Amino acid sequence: MPALPFAPDPAAPESIVRRDFLKKLAAAGAAAWATGEPQALWANGTKLTHPPAKADACILLWMAGGMAAPDTFDPKRYHPFEKGLEVAKMLSTFPAIDTAVDGVKICQGLKNIAQVMDRATLIRSAVQPDLGSILHSRHQYHWHTGYVPPQTVACPHLGSWMAKVLGPRNPVMPAFVNIGQRLEGIGESEELKAFTTAGFFGSEFGPMNLPFPEEAAQSVRPPKGMDANRFSSRDRLFRKLVDANPNRDRMSDHQQQSLLRSLDNAYRLLSSREREAFDITLEPKEVQAKYDTGRFGRGCLLARRLVEAGVRFVEVTTEYVPFLYWDTHKDGHETLAGLHREIDMPIATLIRDLEERGLLDRTLVVIASEFSRDALIEGKPGSTANDQATFKVDRIEETKHYGLHRHFTGGTSVVMFGGGMKKGLVYGETADERPLVAVKNPVSVMDLHATMLTAMGISPKTEFTIEGRPFYVTEDGKGQPVAELFA
Amino acid sequence: MDFNHQIVPLLKKHCGECHTGDKLKGGFSLNDRAALLHGGENGPVIDLTRPERSELLDIVTTDDEDRRMPPKGKGLTKDEVELLRQWLAEGLPWEAGFAFRAPAYEPPLKPRKVPLPPAVEGRDHPVDRLVDTHLAKQKLTWPEPADDGAFLRRAHLDLIGLLPTPEEVEAFSKDAAPDKRERLVRALLARDIDYTEHWLTFWNDLLRNDYGGTGFITGGRKQISKWLYESLVSNKPFDQFARELIAPPSDESRGFIDGIKWRGEVSAGQTVEIQFAQSVGQSFLGINLKCASCHDSFTDRWKLDEAYGLAAIYADKPLQVHRCDKPVGRTATASWLFPELGQVNPAAPRAERLSQLAALMTHPENGRFSRTVVNRLWHRLMGHGIVHPLDAMQTEPWSADLLDWLALDFQQNGYDIKKTLERIATSRIYQARSETVGDSQSPYVFHGPRARRLTAEQFVDAVWQLTGSAPSKMDAPVFRGRIDPEAAKTVKLTGQWIWGDSAGGGKAPPAGETILLRANWKLDAAPFSGTAILTCDNAFTLYLNGRKIIEGDNWNQVTALPLHDKLQQGNNQIVVVAVNAGNGPNSAGLYFQADAKLADGTTAHLASGPGWQFSPSAPAGKEGRLGALPQNFQPAVTVKALPVWTRALEQQGPSLLARGAQSGSRAVRAALVKSDFLMRSLGRPNRDQIVSTRPEDLTTLEALDLSNGETLTRALEQGASRLVQSHGASSEGLVSRLYAHTLARAPTPSELAAALEALGTTPTAGPVADLLWALLLQPEFLYVR
Repeated sequence: MPALPFAPDPAAPESIVRRDFLKKLAAAGAAAWATGEPQALWANGTKLTHPPAKADACILLWMAGGMAAPDTFDPKRYHPFEKGLEVAKMLSTFPAIDTAVDGVKICQGLKNIAQVMDRATLIRSAVQPDLGSILHSRHQYHWHTGYVPPQTVACPHLGSWMAKVLGPRNPVMPAFVNIGQRLEGIGESEELKAFTTAGFFGSEFGPMNLPFPEEAAQSVRPPKGMDANRFSSRDRLFRKLVDANPNRDRMSDHQQQSLLRSLDNAYRLLSSREREAFDITLEPKEVQAKYDTGRFGRGCLLARRLVEAGVRFVEVTTEYVPFLYWDTHKDGHETLAGLHREIDMPIATLIRDLEERGLLDRTLVVIASEFSRDALIEGKPGSTANDQATFKVDRIEETKHYGLHRHFTGGTSVVMFGGGMKKGLVYGETADERPLVAVKNPVSVMDLHATMLTAMGISPKTEFTIEGRPFYVTEDGKGQPVAELFA
Repeated sequence: MDFNHQIVPLLKKHCGECHTGDKLKGGFSLNDRAALLHGGENGPVIDLTRPERSELLDIVTTDDEDRRMPPKGKGLTKDEVELLRQWLAEGLPWEAGFAFRAPAYEPPLKPRKVPLPPAVEGRDHPVDRLVDTHLAKQKLTWPEPADDGAFLRRAHLDLIGLLPTPEEVEAFSKDAAPDKRERLVRALLARDIDYTEHWLTFWNDLLRNDYGGTGFITGGRKQISKWLYESLVSNKPFDQFARELIAPPSDESRGFIDGIKWRGEVSAGQTVEIQFAQSVGQSFLGINLKCASCHDSFTDRWKLDEAYGLAAIYADKPLQVHRCDKPVGRTATASWLFPELGQVNPAAPRAERLSQLAALMTHPENGRFSRTVVNRLWHRLMGHGIVHPLDAMQTEPWSADLLDWLALDFQQNGYDIKKTLERIATSRIYQARSETVGDSQSPYVFHGPRARRLTAEQFVDAVWQLTGSAPSKMDAPVFRGRIDPEAAKTVKLTGQWIWGDSAGGGKAPPAGETILLRANWKLDAAPFSGTAILTCDNAFTLYLNGRKIIEGDNWNQVTALPLHDKLQQGNNQIVVVAVNAGNGPNSAGLYFQADAKLADGTTAHLASGPGWQFSPSAPAGKEGRLGALPQNFQPAVTVKALPVWTRALEQQGPSLLARGAQSGSRAVRAALVKSDFLMRSLGRPNRDQIVSTRPEDLTTLEALDLSNGETLTRALEQGASRLVQSHGASSEGLVSRLYAHTLARAPTPSELAAALEALGTTPTAGPVADLLWALLLQPEFLYVR
């Protein structure tokens, strides 16, 4: 991997921690022992070996709400809208188009992504459990943590596992950034919060949440209305008062140390050059224009900049809001046409940009969603899940009926780019006729995680003890990477 | 290969009887990996270089009956041999620290009377006498006492969660009475509202109660907030407290045992029945049943059947035992964990089983119950448990005498939480200076209180105190304060009893009739506070704006509920599903009355009577929502109140309404609002799981939020402007005031100099905000020391 474009700022103020507590740095995190916090477990004698990393960073492009595979990456028999069309006859609402890979087609509307499919591994056989009833956030929890809620412990997000095991690539940067999802003021926000967290790892490994990419720069600037001079004099005052404090030596060193180190880190980020990575307006206008199809597109640009600056794991989501975006319960076709426009150019540009910068080989980009959609089947074939379509019609009479309005867990597409994956590969397939279930090489969420983790150099058997018992990154350590996907 | 789940059970089953713990048949032990590799009398049984040739594999597969192990029974199955073979081939992976030894320590169950040792150097407080013994044994000296300021601040933060004001700091320092510390402790504990609104955080964590969170969206979770608040403000004895949680006398405290029900299917280890077992075990007994809910625990003595037995007490239908999510083919028998104290009757109906469990839990001979809670209180006040971790009560305490004395004292004081807090806080050891811990990795040896981090709520409350920026509205659906009989006299009951047309002309409505009663309440401005009371003969379910709020079936008991979190500006749909009971036609009626204070300073009022409508058809409701209403509403019928109705209403209604009216006048506390960005960042947990300890360390992301977060910055700017106006005459005076308020002490000359350099001679808002920030982030501020 080429050198990071941002180097730590040598002019940053001397660290209080380094000055005073250098000798005890080794004790960092030791407090975790006493409070029963998680610790890594290595089997005696056979120390867990991590696979060699093929990627240094990971970008998850999250299509929240259930991305319909037949209307994106797995086109099936297409029927244009017509009054009276039998719903049962309709599999896709978009025609297929050619891609850069011979014989591989994806849906119309994704023509730019089609041109970079020769860099992609396309999994068409991802499957999810049918949980008896669809609650998006519950499936999203499962996808993001590997565990179906409820759970007895607070499960860490996949990004937190990467932050915990690997840390950031640049110590000034946060390890895990989550772009594009508000966690307040929207439906199911409590459920979203439940997995947008480092769980039992503690907030050090949690996501830095940047719901609006265009406001990301502000999150690493001094507070609004405070200029650089005042910001640094405030910091100087803080340090002086710490030094002058008569009770300084009366407190536990490790407590002060962790506190001062954290404040130091924060100050370093807020006054470093790396913080520029958060500012997408520093990109040339024409680059911004390519990405600027909306919040998601701008998020992709931010993700690229953050990965360049040393973030380990970035998630960019088309925001999840119940019944919006990919969560189509009506007007599916029209909504997806808009979403195609929103994701197509930014994703293709992201891939090309990473490639141009020589970063794609060591950056794993994954497009995924909690499940697929179908015009008729809710859950899996034969499921007892409650049908939640807004219009339960046999024949399409109006355009609002035209779309894939049921939640389908039997066969979903996942696209991976870079990060040591094969190029131009299609893995698995779904049936040509309904039910469009995976008929070849089904890939579970667990094995998909194992694949991503393996690419990042983390063993799927990695475990931490929490409350005296082992907790694995893939359930019971049983995730198996899909070997055929690796180049 | 999964050592814990595959190998441990196999070894335990086939070899455990003769080769673990102190059993060493043939000189062979497999207590730990080293012992296993060492082998027995005849040498090693494992050859790691050629695992296939290992004696161990031969001896479990041989046909020679005299040699084969285990000697009894059928021996290992093919699959088990294969597992063993694979384990050897992988190099015998062994979980670090795991051993088959019998536990070195088994905690006593029953309470124990501890004779107090003689006082040393006049330290005659029971806690101090026991601590003295401990320190002598450890050859440690008695720690220095904390100075007045540190003690004052510590006692305030520990007992009521607030900083002492500069005035309180001054008064305390001037007080020359020798018993002023003890008096302070008692005075703080007597501030029952402040106490309640601090300890809510602790109990919400421990009982996983919250004002928002997973599960509420589909009606799969209930709050116990109102019950909890009232229990704390009245200092309800803890045995009664626990009984009301385990066997809820009403819906108000039902949320704890009902857990969180997610929509759809869940794994066998997380059904609401198993959640019940886990929650009851963890919260009240410090037992972690999470392992045992899936299989016999490897880390403590609890078994799968014991976890399921506890779960079966709650289950309302036969509960299939599952091992690791697979049914094992037997049904759980309701039972509790310590049969030596008695047992629940598995044949009894559910409510009775729960009552039996509640009685066993609070049985006077159940010392585990009182030890668990006093240990938690000790941890809050002293920074580390007598048993630690708090939820592993099988761990040996550093002083069993101290733990047992406190637990029995607690019991003898009628399970009075405040009394135990007072006991601890009036000891001299609590009043000692916090210990300095250099190397946190060395094993814990108690040598006085440890500094503990401010909770998110304490920090936010402190910011609100310092800057006057508390929000005006709380989220917790509670009434703050206690009932004031004087205020009740000013409240009038203005409603009428109503029903549907079956009650027209004085007729008695049929038994079992279910109707809807509704009213629309239009509010011209945003509601700031509000209260409703209602009662119904025979049963009601109240829906407010489509959401199920509360149900009740006891017309002797008037229900009161806070409305500030449920009403909105504009139209509010109030719908009651009302049910008549009995065997034949009998009187039925609903009474409802509500007041709300609005943001524009006006009050709004609604009471049952003319203007209400009824419909004979009631939808069933689902996941806490009523769904579409029928179209056939007609005016409701006023019914003549039975004297018994009127009596209950007149006795209870006015005081309940009056309490609600007073509730909105105090500054809001952080424990009463939903978690926000800053509090989450500072470690307030999502209460999806029970939390008994929060992280002690500040993390970089938290520091980032503290350095540039908008909420804090805005509060500091506003607070600074206020401070300049009220105390801005001199910079020196202001600095002294800020030090007194934040750290309960005067600044040292060098601190004062640094602060004055930043403020200049005439303080202005910007530099004051920066000084405030610099003080809030001092380690001395962020810890209770």
